[in-house]
Amino acid sequence: MTLLEIALIFSLMSVISVGGLPAVMGEVQRIVVEQKAWVTAPEFVQLYAVGQAAPGPNVLIVSLIGWKVAGLVGALVALLAMITPAAIMTYWVSDVWDRFKDTAWRGVAQRAMAPLVVGLVGAGGFVLATPGSPDWRMWLIAALSACGMLFLQKLNPLWFLAAGGALGAVLL
Amino acid sequence: MSVTPPRSLVELFTGFLSIGARSFGGVLPWAYRVMVEERRWITVEDFTQTMGLCQFLPGPNVGNAAIVYGKRWFGVRGAVVAALGLFALPFTWVVALGAIYSDYASNPTLRAVVTGIGAAGAGFFIATAIKLARPLARKPAALVIIAGCFISVGIGRVSLAYVLPVAIAAALITSRMGRL
Repeated sequence: MTLLEIALIFSLMSVISVGGLPAVMGEVQRIVVEQKAWVTAPEFVQLYAVGQAAPGPNVLIVSLIGWKVAGLVGALVALLAMITPAAIMTYWVSDVWDRFKDTAWRGVAQRAMAPLVVGLVGAGGFVLATPGSPDWRMWLIAALSACGMLFLQKLNPLWFLAAGGALGAVLL
Repeated sequence: MSVTPPRSLVELFTGFLSIGARSFGGVLPWAYRVMVEERRWITVEDFTQTMGLCQFLPGPNVGNAAIVYGKRWFGVRGAVVAALGLFALPFTWVVALGAIYSDYASNPTLRAVVTGIGAAGAGFFIATAIKLARPLARKPAALVIIAGCFISVGIGRVSLAYVLPVAIAAALITSRMGRL
């Protein structure tokens, strides 16, 4: 029954996760911590941090929750539930999008989206660097790594992450 | 810039595998790097527009991009293969990390290192936003919309349920007026 619950809850989250995980993060926390009591609030925060320290889309935190509740199978079920409904919607919508390739409204809509994306990606970076109250040490690490990405393009960005980890050990 | 889509499902899979494998701290910058800069599958404009579409669909943005491009090049099989490639290694990683971390979660140094890696990953998002903003720099209406989204979502922590309808309406109107 727990597996079924995991599947149902995260399928629903998948459908309403417009723009990705951040949109439903609060709701996931409410259900998983307060309603189901699968993990405690401090555990939830730690799982999120571990999810951030792994590569890949941040929806992977749901597989950590599934893993806590029902082991490896729980982890797989949670991830599949979180990505499949959204993937099916995307599959269908991108079809419609391609069909209207040469219409005027599609050009208007595409130009409209560009600044929204820039603003939301920037906001994502800000939120990631500001987990609690503003902390200059977090911002410094983020700013250094951003400058690295912009001005040292030949260098493998993994070095900036390693440097961030080292600075974290010293500063935080 | 001339671009060539992947020629086989294997090429598609390994491309998304390499995005997933290296995408510490955020997938978007790596999706850009692999698809636009390294493999030259798509143009910058294509990337921005597809990510724009994916931003308004439910689901992880780059996961959706895997579906869109996989489908464009190889249909259903492509969509499934691209998504599997993207998620395979990160899933393994995250479960392994979760298991290890639950053993050492009380160590403060480990927590500081993990947090530092997260902050550096945040810097990648900011650098990507700056790269994507360059073509828009001379359009005042675009800068206002960028600032509005950044302040409301990033600083105000307002739900996208309120921000998106307003921002989309404002962007569509200014775009229709030829200001974007």
